[in-house]
Amino acid sequence: MVPHAKSGFWRGLAPYLLSSILLISAYMHVGAVKVAASSLAVIGIPIHFVASLPSMTLAAMQGRLTTTEQLRRQFEFLREQNLILRARLQRFEFLENENNRLRELLQAAPQAVEKVTLAQLVAVNPELGSLTVLVNKGSADDVYIGQPVIDAGGIVGQVTKSSLFTSKISLITEESQAVPVQVVRSGVRAILYGGGKNRTLRVMYLDRNVDIQPDDVLVSSGLGEIYPPGYPVAVVTAVERNIAESFMNIEARPMSHLGRDREVLLLWPTQLKASDHDSDAMVEEKSE
Amino acid sequence: MIQVDSASRRPWIPFLTLLAALILLVLPMQELPGGFVPDWVSLVLIYWALAFPVRMGVPIAWVTGLIVDIITLGIPGAHAFTKSVIVYITGSLALRIRAFPVWQQSVVVFLLLTLELASLVIIGGLTGEAITGMHRWTAVVVGALVWPLVYHVLRRSRHSSNLRGS
Repeated sequence: MVPHAKSGFWRGLAPYLLSSILLISAYMHVGAVKVAASSLAVIGIPIHFVASLPSMTLAAMQGRLTTTEQLRRQFEFLREQNLILRARLQRFEFLENENNRLRELLQAAPQAVEKVTLAQLVAVNPELGSLTVLVNKGSADDVYIGQPVIDAGGIVGQVTKSSLFTSKISLITEESQAVPVQVVRSGVRAILYGGGKNRTLRVMYLDRNVDIQPDDVLVSSGLGEIYPPGYPVAVVTAVERNIAESFMNIEARPMSHLGRDREVLLLWPTQLKASDHDSDAMVEEKSE
Repeated sequence: MIQVDSASRRPWIPFLTLLAALILLVLPMQELPGGFVPDWVSLVLIYWALAFPVRMGVPIAWVTGLIVDIITLGIPGAHAFTKSVIVYITGSLALRIRAFPVWQQSVVVFLLLTLELASLVIIGGLTGEAITGMHRWTAVVVGALVWPLVYHVLRRSRHSSNLRGS
């Protein structure tokens, strides 16, 4: 019983390594392989389904276990909230109309209404220990890479991978993610970086004397052209001004629920037209 | 050890445990602090490569790795590559590693998982999908620490299913 007596390195391992490398390079350079891989991802659906069973049964049990009284109270609460939100929406519609009229006066293209789709979270953790969530909409639903994702609180993240029926969303708290933001109160522009799991977001490279303070709301600025402008992203929690350093240490807390809800919204922002760019962006494009 | 008949009663047990490991891999663990979820699939593959170096060899590791790549929407071939490598090493040294006490096996597992993550980082760097964060490395340590548990659970499953041979 001698293992690998017949099949040494050249017959036992090398062919597999070679085929892996071929597969990886084919995936990198041949479009058809990418499409095939994203279609093959359907084999993951039963595995994801089984993995999501515990949390699904837990959620179902919670629904069963609530008493009529609790349900009635919840219903009352939701009805009240609906009323408040509707009242706010009326004002919003009025403002949107006014905004479009003013834009017409300025001869700028009116901002069309964005397309939105509700996607359900497949309650799984697609990559080991990473800050990504999986949703049940994929390239078959026109999901594209770099698509912004929001929930009731604000921006959740962006789509970083999509297969035919599922796509992977990287949360804004991930270390590799950055969101261009603007302070609502003062209009200061900055970039918000993810801090990793269980860590806060950081605003980096802001000069010591810039106007920013705790409880400031950061909304997306629309620069970078991934996230549409105006969506809430985070609240500043701590600002540390250090005389010895030229930049401030600023920490922020995300406003969205970061995939803890069962649903998220996928946004299809309307394409920015040349007339929508402000002059700064034009200058940047030319200088490149 | 004379075994005329190596056919076992339930030869599908290894595959069932691999499927369970795949499910554990994608199980939602949002509540746990980052980096406390080891790569169950690698651990299970290492166990079966130790138990049956020939039957549970590189081909099965390759296919399992490819399934991991596909269901996690990763680069197809990356995990297939790394899992083939660690299973090949485990299989070649199986007779020696099997003689170790469990804690020494943990050290071997630690080295194997480190090798796997290092190659994943290199592949990620070459393909532009860099692996970020320290939590992947703590997962390696956790993987080595839970090895005794994996070992005992899988050995029980193997004995209860009466699997023998290589």
